[in-house]
Amino acid sequence: MFAADLIMNFIFNLTVREIRSSWRRLLFFFLCIAIGVGSIVALRSLIQNFSRSVGGDARALLTADFVINSTNDFSPTDISKIEEVIGKSSIVEARNEVTETSAMSRPLDKSNENFSFVELKGIEPPFPLVGNFTLSGGKPFDFSLLENNGAVVAPILLDDLDVKIGDKIRIGESEFQIRATFDEEPGGTGGFRLGARVFISKNAFETAGITQNRSRVRRRILYRTSDNPTEVVTQLREALKGSTITVQSYRETQERLGEQFERTENYLSLTGLLILVLGGVGVWNVARVFVEQKRKSVAVLKCLGASGNRIITVYLLQILTLGFLGSLFGVLLAQLGLWLAEWRYHDVLPAKMSYAVHFSVAWQGVLLGVLISLLFSALPLLQVRNIKPRLLLHDAGGEKMRRLDLTKTIFGALSLAGLLALAVWQAGSLKVGAFFLVGLGFTSLFLYLAAVVLTVLLRKIKNFGSFSVRQAINSLYRPGNQTRIILLAVGLGAFVVLAVQSLQGNLIREFDFTRNAKLPSLFFIDIQKSQIDELKQIVQTATGENVQVVPTIRARIAFVNGEPFDFENRETRQQQGVIGREFAVTYRPEMDENETLLAGNWWNGASNNADDAQISVEEGMSKSLGVNVGDWMTFDVSGRKIQVQIANIRKLDLRNTRTAFVFVFRPGVLESAPQTFVATVLKKIPAVERAKLQRGIIDKFPNVQIFDVADIVAAVQKLVNNFVLAISFVGSFVILSGILILIGSIALTKSQRIYENAILKTLGAKRPTLAAILLAEYGLLGFLAGIIGTVFATALSFGVSKFLFDIDWEFDLTLTIAGVLITTVLVMTVGAIASFDVLFRKPLGILRSQ
Amino acid sequence: MIILQNVTKTVQSGADDLTILDDVSLEIPDGEFISVTGASGSGKSTLLGLIAGLDAPSSGEILIDGASVTTMSEDELAELRSKKIGFIFQSFHLIPSLTAFENILIPMEILGLKDAKDRAAQLLSDVDLKNRGHHYPTELSGGEQQRIAIARAFANQPKILLADEPTGNLDSKNGNHIFDLMTELHDQNNISLVLVTHDQSLAERAERQVILKDGRVLSDELTRNGNTGNF
Repeated sequence: MFAADLIMNFIFNLTVREIRSSWRRLLFFFLCIAIGVGSIVALRSLIQNFSRSVGGDARALLTADFVINSTNDFSPTDISKIEEVIGKSSIVEARNEVTETSAMSRPLDKSNENFSFVELKGIEPPFPLVGNFTLSGGKPFDFSLLENNGAVVAPILLDDLDVKIGDKIRIGESEFQIRATFDEEPGGTGGFRLGARVFISKNAFETAGITQNRSRVRRRILYRTSDNPTEVVTQLREALKGSTITVQSYRETQERLGEQFERTENYLSLTGLLILVLGGVGVWNVARVFVEQKRKSVAVLKCLGASGNRIITVYLLQILTLGFLGSLFGVLLAQLGLWLAEWRYHDVLPAKMSYAVHFSVAWQGVLLGVLISLLFSALPLLQVRNIKPRLLLHDAGGEKMRRLDLTKTIFGALSLAGLLALAVWQAGSLKVGAFFLVGLGFTSLFLYLAAVVLTVLLRKIKNFGSFSVRQAINSLYRPGNQTRIILLAVGLGAFVVLAVQSLQGNLIREFDFTRNAKLPSLFFIDIQKSQIDELKQIVQTATGENVQVVPTIRARIAFVNGEPFDFENRETRQQQGVIGREFAVTYRPEMDENETLLAGNWWNGASNNADDAQISVEEGMSKSLGVNVGDWMTFDVSGRKIQVQIANIRKLDLRNTRTAFVFVFRPGVLESAPQTFVATVLKKIPAVERAKLQRGIIDKFPNVQIFDVADIVAAVQKLVNNFVLAISFVGSFVILSGILILIGSIALTKSQRIYENAILKTLGAKRPTLAAILLAEYGLLGFLAGIIGTVFATALSFGVSKFLFDIDWEFDLTLTIAGVLITTVLVMTVGAIASFDVLFRKPLGILRSQ
Repeated sequence: MIILQNVTKTVQSGADDLTILDDVSLEIPDGEFISVTGASGSGKSTLLGLIAGLDAPSSGEILIDGASVTTMSEDELAELRSKKIGFIFQSFHLIPSLTAFENILIPMEILGLKDAKDRAAQLLSDVDLKNRGHHYPTELSGGEQQRIAIARAFANQPKILLADEPTGNLDSKNGNHIFDLMTELHDQNNISLVLVTHDQSLAERAERQVILKDGRVLSDELTRNGNTGNF
């Protein structure tokens, strides 16, 4: 046998024997890695599966290979341009047209007083071109259901209106019979939607009295192709340049969705990495305990002739084995987590979503787990080199750390570089990865400094209080104490959870319309000029309020300084949703009270000619467009081009507003354009009366749409709550990692505690006294960690609210007190459970063995 | 042959230097059984530790078979111990996570001996613990643990056996048994045996007795068992 084989033999044999005897001690190590890997694999799988089921098939989402969108009727010129390009293409297989708008619906039965906002879609065969349209019960959609004013509706509409299949409802000026409900609509993602989806035929849509002089009617021509549509899309864009018609291909949608999902996945993975890094801190702690406990065995092995490197290899192999097994267990936990998510959230997640952990994600998780084990245990294991065999003759206790140890410095730097590489890998970006690591470093540093300050302060008061409290404070300073590490780990967990809770409170408060006196309770939109007086009268009678009525005109940006948007340009296309959409614009002589001028001047009086046609642009939009005072913009209003010069840039205070317009025109420009009016009711009226008023308006003016702010607020609150739930879920993993570190730290100082308790018992201390010391010690630790967590959470919540979300922030005393109390009780409970057995050890044996 | 030339060991004790061994010179020929006695703190264990390379002297030189221990690196010292030295401690120092049998195996596995398991079984039998091989150290009595430690010390067939108060933690019956076992193995294998002990009666059973006082050699004489002497 060769020498290398013999060495490997020794290393392998000893590794196996060590694992056999030490696995219980390394169980926390195993759990730290398992939970870290579990969370990273679960989060990544969840978002990948979600993206596969939603965005993976952009064709199905778009329900076509490419789509031509317009907010006006297609003009004969547009149609001929389109047909010319399509006629030359050999790949177009099929086409259809879809019109969409929102509208109010109510049952035809007069005794049923319900009403509901709906998202109406007028379709024509063949439908769908791409994707599935499945009715409730599993049957496929058949177009004959829509003939003679039939409607296929989302099941929720039956509940909202209290109607059943076969009943008739009124939408606009037409009556529709509900023929079926559907389970899955083509392109439906279950995303944020205010009203229930209703499908009717395109012909019925056109004759329902909802397309005349109406806003928000979107017209789309959809195409299915036999091949890649990129070329035909480019040709269409070229042909339609200068008009407000946009062309969208599934390839670009896929590209955009792919990017969005990848970004989300990478950010979630960083959250997972945070948990894994916390697990790493646990690993580091456990490795330190492990080396400490193995000092004598290491000395014996060295005495018997084993070199330091061989011994390090044995322990490293052991840790890698456990890291690998822990990671595998983590993958199993992730799968359990996904099943739990399926059980709990299947109704809000896409129906066809898979809940399996994919192999690629699993092996990435395992690799991460093993690497984190290696990175975080390397430095503590290096301590093995400093263990001298002479300690077997005379144990002076604790090997002195050499201050300038080159190997340790090199390994420290390598570990840091490795961690950076992992962060970059997980974030998919060097910048984000480095930012994550530096951010984590600074957060940890601040938390650590806070821990240092608090413990120093605590020491000042150690002579106060009872014997138990004094002993507890002393315990926090015992040699080898883990006080600061525990404060850092648990404080970080409390910080994440409490920051999210505090932000939730402020976000929900922001959407609570009862606190914003200027936010209307009801919006009426699409009011015709002829309807204004009567509508005002009805509202006045019901509420006593003289409503404000504002004109709105639908407009798209055609040119900026004479140049059209180039959506072939990727960066411009990414902004398509912001700058390419249709805007509701208005005109007025005065500035609103919720507006402030940032640049330029407000106009004086109406515009008289084309040279002084002016516009005011909201600050954010001016940045998106890259425009400033003096620039020229051309708008497309119902097919007519209107050129205006930017007179000023405005800031909008959205918290204090009735209506918010991105573009405000100077009077004298748009008065003759097709327009509708928006009316707002400020007065807060009870739900029953609000419903009665809405029903009265719908009966009288079927074309008018009503937004009940209470409904919107409820929908937004639901979104915020889901968001908070998701983050709190992740936050709870952070807490769990913190607790594992806590338990690991307790294990590290346990032998010292056992010895101290034995002495105290010998000196006459009774169990209740010892128990009181134990509880006081962990109570103090928890209290300090809670204070650190809440202080930093409050600071973060303040910063994010003020500077990122730009919302009002309020200090939440209840949350602060609850945060400190819960953390105290949690740490006290975990600490007491993990150290409970210490109270029952007989002192003699312990004192003899020291 | 073990040679100590003017070996001094000083350690820091508070602000002062404390001399544990002061200019000690000794020669221990191959196969000799020598006992080292002296009061507590006279430097007995330190002397043994320096010979084994567990610690380095402050000055002077230690040679084993002509090679200078004082200039060796940690890994070279480990290799030296692995090949030439067996060590027995007062408090046994068995590895608690390994069984008795595995504790005996370790030095041979470090050395890479082929027939390690057979030899470990033989050594177990030599120390009369054939049936206790699968027990962990905590499951063995003090005497049994020391016998395993002796078997482990002999496992790599050392030329030098260093024993630091091997009977110090045992009652007289077990102590005598251990002593007999060591001397028996010494006689059979013709190895140098350096025994540090408090027990004068045991010390006198060696071939030569060195007495230390305050870190210096007070006397170095052949006992009645000794058949050679250099003073």
